[in-house]
Amino acid sequence: MAYFFELLINGALTGLMYALVALGFVLIYKSAGVPNLAQGAVVMTAGYAVWLFMSMGLPVWLAIPAAMVVMFLFGLVVERLLLRRMVGQPIIMVVMLTLGLDILLRGLVPGILGSAPKSIDLGINFAPVIIGDVFINRTSLIGGVIAILLVGASLLFFRTRLGTKLRAVSDDHISSWAVGISVERAIGISWGLAGIAAVVAGALWGSAQGVDWTLSTLLFPAIAVVILGGIDSIPGVLVGGLLVGILGSVVPGYLDSYVGGSTRDVVTSVIILLTIMVRPFGIFGREDIERI
Amino acid sequence: MKWLRTTALTAALAFGSVTTAATADEIKIGLLQDFTAVYTFLTGEYNQGQQDYLTLINEEGGIDGNTFTAIVRDTGNQPQRGIEAYNRAKEEGAVLFDFLSTPVSAAILDQADADKRVVITPVHGRGDASDGTVFPYIFPMMATYWAQAANLIEFMKTNEGGLEGKKIAIVHIDSPFGKEPLPILDALAAQEKFEYKAFPYASPGNEQSAAWSEVRRYQPDFVMIWGAGGGQAVSVKTAIQNGIKPEQIHSVIWLAETDAANVGPMMKGVKRFEATASGLDHPIIQRIQEKVITPGKGAGDAKNVGTSYYNLGVATMAVSVEAARLGLEGGGPLDGDKLKAGFEKIAGYDAEGLMPAITITAEDHQGGGAGRVSEWDGEKWAPVSDWHAAYPELIRKTIEDSAAKYKEGH
Amino acid sequence: MFYRLSGVYQTNYAADRKLWKIPADRWQVIAVLVLALMAPLYVSPLYLGSYVLPWVIWSAAALSLTLLMGMAGQLHFGFAAVMAIGAYSSIHLVRAGIPFEIALILSGVVSAVIGTLFGGAALRVKGLYLVMATLAMQYLVDWVVVNVPWISGGAHATLRTPAVNFLVMPIDSLAARYWLALGWAVLITLFFLNVKRTSFGRALVAIRDKDFAAAVIGVDPFRTKLAAFFTSSFLGGVTGAILAFCYYRAVTPEQFGFNVSIQLVAMVLVGGLGSVIGSYLGAGFVLLAPIFLTNAISSLAAAGWVPVSQNFLSHLPLIIYGAMIIGFLLFEPLGLAKIYDNIRKYFLVWPFRHAKS
Repeated sequence: MAYFFELLINGALTGLMYALVALGFVLIYKSAGVPNLAQGAVVMTAGYAVWLFMSMGLPVWLAIPAAMVVMFLFGLVVERLLLRRMVGQPIIMVVMLTLGLDILLRGLVPGILGSAPKSIDLGINFAPVIIGDVFINRTSLIGGVIAILLVGASLLFFRTRLGTKLRAVSDDHISSWAVGISVERAIGISWGLAGIAAVVAGALWGSAQGVDWTLSTLLFPAIAVVILGGIDSIPGVLVGGLLVGILGSVVPGYLDSYVGGSTRDVVTSVIILLTIMVRPFGIFGREDIERI
Repeated sequence: MKWLRTTALTAALAFGSVTTAATADEIKIGLLQDFTAVYTFLTGEYNQGQQDYLTLINEEGGIDGNTFTAIVRDTGNQPQRGIEAYNRAKEEGAVLFDFLSTPVSAAILDQADADKRVVITPVHGRGDASDGTVFPYIFPMMATYWAQAANLIEFMKTNEGGLEGKKIAIVHIDSPFGKEPLPILDALAAQEKFEYKAFPYASPGNEQSAAWSEVRRYQPDFVMIWGAGGGQAVSVKTAIQNGIKPEQIHSVIWLAETDAANVGPMMKGVKRFEATASGLDHPIIQRIQEKVITPGKGAGDAKNVGTSYYNLGVATMAVSVEAARLGLEGGGPLDGDKLKAGFEKIAGYDAEGLMPAITITAEDHQGGGAGRVSEWDGEKWAPVSDWHAAYPELIRKTIEDSAAKYKEGH
Repeated sequence: MFYRLSGVYQTNYAADRKLWKIPADRWQVIAVLVLALMAPLYVSPLYLGSYVLPWVIWSAAALSLTLLMGMAGQLHFGFAAVMAIGAYSSIHLVRAGIPFEIALILSGVVSAVIGTLFGGAALRVKGLYLVMATLAMQYLVDWVVVNVPWISGGAHATLRTPAVNFLVMPIDSLAARYWLALGWAVLITLFFLNVKRTSFGRALVAIRDKDFAAAVIGVDPFRTKLAAFFTSSFLGGVTGAILAFCYYRAVTPEQFGFNVSIQLVAMVLVGGLGSVIGSYLGAGFVLLAPIFLTNAISSLAAAGWVPVSQNFLSHLPLIIYGAMIIGFLLFEPLGLAKIYDNIRKYFLVWPFRHAKS
């Protein structure tokens, strides 16, 4: 039983760490309607940025805000230079553009800063938190708490004046224009916010596994999270993250040694498929009604 | 007509300038590796070591006046790019190739045999390619993954005074590479009467908590980790978080200084297999420092000199240059056949103490499969066993069985 | 210049239904075909084996995919998995003693059956969700291939293709392998051009433009979408088998990974959705641009023109390649086919400026 709880809790925490990656994806999709398949590479870039500032001698509490500033600007620039020109293009063009961005970043960032794994030391203690016979990963615990706080902060942010504008934009671009909201600025800001979320994800995942291009592979579980939770729902990120994390931990925990292969990617794939077949817009997502 | 000239120039650049037939005094080596995809964790340092060693040999006057040129290309781990790079380097006259990529090597093995070009697959690639009768032009030339697994098991056995009744957990990445040691463990478990269990984790291994929760409950006496890149640091960290002592952890060759930096102080005591010594304290590395790095002729960051993967790269080229020297004894110019003969003449070569003495024969292209175990002492990898080959008969039998199957077309 | 026309003016329906409506186009196609057929005679083995041959095969793959993505409008991000199914089943079928010609067709059928399951998702969703669903299926197929030793070929997960004959031609020499691949590419091209003129082709286009509207005019979206997936996966499966037998000759799971699917989509998009010439141009671009860039940059570096580290140097082609994909989407979303079309239209009525067609 302790085994089950251990898988459950560590899985849930890992899922919350995935939610950090997914949050950036949702922020962009919600306002701009753009599925940013480069979000994994953006997380990688953010991880490199944190590493760069720390290797320049900044302490953690300065390096992360500095990286946040850089990544916010990075988000603004990407939106301004690339995505704004794609407005009105078919979805497949937008998807391919973000994949092109993914390739570009995966060449540019490790090319300049080095492709061997870099380490980020956030000063998190190694020893697990032990409750009875349940060992909990401390990095994931801290990451999970931060994920909940960050999602909570995003929810609060959407209640501010600026956030209300963003919500209006996510509801309807044309009506927002009509009432004098700058849709371009709102979308730009949401890209910037996604950059900030990527810094948190990049720093935490980077401290767990080291910073190199493999950070960009976090995109796949993050996609499962957003599909399950709802592609434009911020609370959906939390619920989706928890479910993807728990299933991706409990099922492999019981099956893997019998199957002889890791079933985690299978679980993730099946979650995506089942969600799409049963409830394509996810648990909390908004169902779009298509008109002829 | 300016645009025409520009176009012609661009075309010439894009197609690369093909010069056929190597001249007698220039030996070309194709280092067509993966700098941008799966193998990035090691390619930079490894390739730098290879290039620096070739520069050193050239600085010292080459082999009987023959100098070495490295053709370095990125293949991105994509077979179609590897095939192109191979064919082009072949046209340019390269006689020796190192791909450092499983899918690229797989797509080229047969072609290289037909073309009579030597391919080296040091410490990676197919284990059964060590059978020189089936793979005449392929040279693993260092311990294969099978020999590495056997070496680690023998180390545990020697330290523990017998493995009977002990439990070993092997935590591996879920890929063909990760599953490679399992047949050897099957055979050794029967022979040494220990029990083992395999715990796979999903590629690339940035999250392994489920596997390690299970490992902890298995209560192993020893743990083997079998992965590569960032996943290795995650393995060590998650193991320690699950109450496994660093001393119990034994790794495949892919665990190096960067991983230790990533794990931090808790790394102390973790052991790994090594096929070459690390550190600066070796005659060859000293000479590279003096004649290549100090004059500023190094191929990369001077910080990397002496790291595990750098020295591994140096050793691969040291063996290759030695083979070229032996191959040229009968007179040049060097071609695939002479180089192959040169490799098969290597006897007791140890790169001035950088690696175990290897002896390659026409049958055994692995060169004995020796290696040793080293331990992270907080600063560097300190050896804790002597160079030796573990269970050579078993490894040889596994190689021959698998090669025989390959010959049948499987 | 070579078109000698003032525009395209058909005077009867038969002329309008021709595959190549302009004589000059017809001559160009014949010339290219003859040149392609004779390629082994005048192209060096280096360029034939590592440029032309893969280009031809990947063009066939891009054509198979553009049938689905360009004509029927169903996005597919798991096409490499479909090709993997074809490659693996053809090898296992030939090993089981089935003649190569029949094994090729059967491997296409196996891919088509499994590929139609992929299409099941298309009945429920479209657009982005279809991308995600096919992506998930790519991972599932990858996992099965890696984890079932019976499929992947045991310890080293490498399967060598057996020696085979196609009709009487042994598929052994480079020229023979090239001709087989070329024959298949020509066959797919003809099929594709003709499908556009059938009711099935028009149904696909109707589904692409708006599936609800198509249903209203009597096109059954259920059957048409599944038929699109079936046809495309059949072609993709045979292409996968051709890829295995004519090009790689040893199959490993990594050859059909997720990144290959992305490359295929890039080929289709960079070339121009639903275009035949675009598939050839797009495949050539995506396949060969990284190779040319790598060679060009290495030559420049050898000449001492690019004073950067080895690490940056090897990432430079990736950077330029990514930037070029972005550039195409931003500046010519209709792809290389559109660029070709612009040039053709310019010369069509040259020396006049404006074409009517």
